[in-house]
Amino acid sequence: MIIEKKQVEGKPLTVVIEYPQWNDSVENLVRKISLMDLTFTGKSEDRTVNISVSDIYYIENVERKLFLYTRDEVFRFDGTMSDIEKGIFETGLVRISRTCIMNTDYLREIRQIRNSHLEAVMDNDEKLIVSRKYLPEIKKIFKRRSI
Amino acid sequence: MKRILRDTCILAALMILCVFTVSIIWVGLTDEISLVLSLFGLSFIISLANYFMDEYVTLPILTGYVVKYILATGIVMLFGFIAGWFYKSNFWMAFIYVGIVLVLAYLVDAVKTKQDIDYINSRIDRIRNRER
Repeated sequence: MIIEKKQVEGKPLTVVIEYPQWNDSVENLVRKISLMDLTFTGKSEDRTVNISVSDIYYIENVERKLFLYTRDEVFRFDGTMSDIEKGIFETGLVRISRTCIMNTDYLREIRQIRNSHLEAVMDNDEKLIVSRKYLPEIKKIFKRRSI
Repeated sequence: MKRILRDTCILAALMILCVFTVSIIWVGLTDEISLVLSLFGLSFIISLANYFMDEYVTLPILTGYVVKYILATGIVMLFGFIAGWFYKSNFWMAFIYVGIVLVLAYLVDAVKTKQDIDYINSRIDRIRNRER
């Protein structure tokens, strides 16, 4: 397989797959790339926006309402945690507590704070509480990436 | 190794249940069989309580284990009194039995959590260095 990368300004991220013959490997590759292009519909005041999974820093359930957090904005999502969990298979998103799903692409570090609580520090300096129960799930994502 | 130990425990439990099922059909419910079945019942109740605690309660690691200790001891004492395992004079033994198991579980959990954090942070560093 040959991988070519080039920067093209003024165009959205474009992936071109050239194949001699359509087979399971190609189909699998297309499916994985399509998963990365997953979007959720978020609402902010009076506008509705499609937010790409790759732009989401974390998703939080606050009093049974779901909020999608990007680098600097927050959007309301009309759905449930399980709706989101169904779609995020094989992405960088992972549940880190009963009320929060984090995008590991923006994870800077995990640290143990006082009283042995776990805290995830994101690239935008936000700090999220991580439940120890979900630590193996986060580890699995990084293991998958190293393969 | 962890997987082998886990599979060994599951296999042993299945073997005990199969052998006892045949024994119950053959000779009926003896005291030994009742004791082992009670232990299975007790394990099930403790596992259920542990599951709900992990799912719905977020506490610091040490506080979490103290709460689990009190909860598990309470369950063991209650179950023990119903099953007739304890006399009024020796019910405090439950605190020791549960304490030993939970101290071991706490130590394993603390070490494993530290290892997992180190692994994740090292992977993040490696990915970021590669991207630079």
